[in-house]
Amino acid sequence: MAELACLVVEDSPMMRQLIVFALARIKGIQVTEAEDGVDGLKKLAQKRFDIVLTDINMPMMDGLKLVKRIRGDAVHKDIPIIVITTEGAAEDRQRAMALGANAYITKPIQAPQVIAKVKELLKLT
Amino acid sequence: MAGGAKRAARSSPGSGDIPVDFSKKRDALVRGFLKRGVEFTEELLKENEELRRDVARLSVDGARLRAQVASDDAIRELLRTIEALEHEKKSLLERSNELESLSRNYEGRSGEMEREISDLATLHVAGTQLHTSFRPRRVVRQLAELMGQLVGAEAFVMYLIEPDGKNARAFYTEGLSAGTEPEPVAIADGVIGETCATGLLHMRRDGKLERGSFADPLAVVPLTVEGRPVGAIAVLAMLAHKAEWASVDEELFQLVGRSAGSALLSASLYASMESPLEALQGLRNGGSTDG
Repeated sequence: MAELACLVVEDSPMMRQLIVFALARIKGIQVTEAEDGVDGLKKLAQKRFDIVLTDINMPMMDGLKLVKRIRGDAVHKDIPIIVITTEGAAEDRQRAMALGANAYITKPIQAPQVIAKVKELLKLT
Repeated sequence: MAGGAKRAARSSPGSGDIPVDFSKKRDALVRGFLKRGVEFTEELLKENEELRRDVARLSVDGARLRAQVASDDAIRELLRTIEALEHEKKSLLERSNELESLSRNYEGRSGEMEREISDLATLHVAGTQLHTSFRPRRVVRQLAELMGQLVGAEAFVMYLIEPDGKNARAFYTEGLSAGTEPEPVAIADGVIGETCATGLLHMRRDGKLERGSFADPLAVVPLTVEGRPVGAIAVLAMLAHKAEWASVDEELFQLVGRSAGSALLSASLYASMESPLEALQGLRNGGSTDG
């Protein structure tokens, strides 16, 4: 199976590590980490990714702007995007979905939830 | 002469001695006989024709009956096949149900294992992240993040026990309503004070995790150093969608209790030193032995 590239954009090292742990449960996935939206854009410029997971609240560039930038980019516009939000941030979630995010995960995150969502969007059995 | 001709007319030719009446009778008899023969022959022919039709009909009936018998045999054979197939179907269904049950068990166990792996990963991440920095502010931030992001706590207060051991004072709060200032807590007084005194974890287990208070917090996590309480974290409210404790929460709280106290102490000691080399002075002074 060809390796799948996943970009995780999250400013909290704790959450990032947790998401990476969860994604490691999916066979053939290679994870690249980014600390915020700007870092995420830099990583996207260097490599082609199959899926992006991004937090909403981040310094420098937040997740909403990142979603907008990805959807406006001819090269990356079709990449599936999962946003990570808190349950209370319904407005952020709605905005992210309106901007073109494909799915969302609420915190505190559970590995099986992350795995299921990523598999669903990557159409993995 | 005329009388002789009459006599000749009454007798038949060549039988001049047979009476005319007899000859007539004979002829009539012959004609009747022939007529009956014809009739009889016609009847025979008719009867024969009917018999032929009967034979033909019987032949058709016979063929139909033979076909019927053959058809019945085929039906009987089909019925036997259907019965065998029904039996096979029943066996396959039973096997399918068995396999489905096994599959469900397997899925259940697989899901359970995934959850356990997820819980272990959460504990691992929490444990390692608490010790990734020696800057007190950073450690506190990590601890707050752990409570918010991993546990799902919305409002909580972190306390440290005062050096005189009589009170615990709040040093970090998150999610409290504006203007709420946590009062110092007397050691061994109330749920928070008791946890500060005993070092035992308190978790409310009476149903839903509705918003708590300082008097009745949802959880109080002791912060310990080598088993000795140095503070506590009181959880007053959880995120709206967290209706009950997760399987990993108690272990997470226990881990926080054991690790966060020492992480805060290390960071505090480190901050009071001028350099890492100075901080390691304790090892040079014989700190390699216990006690």
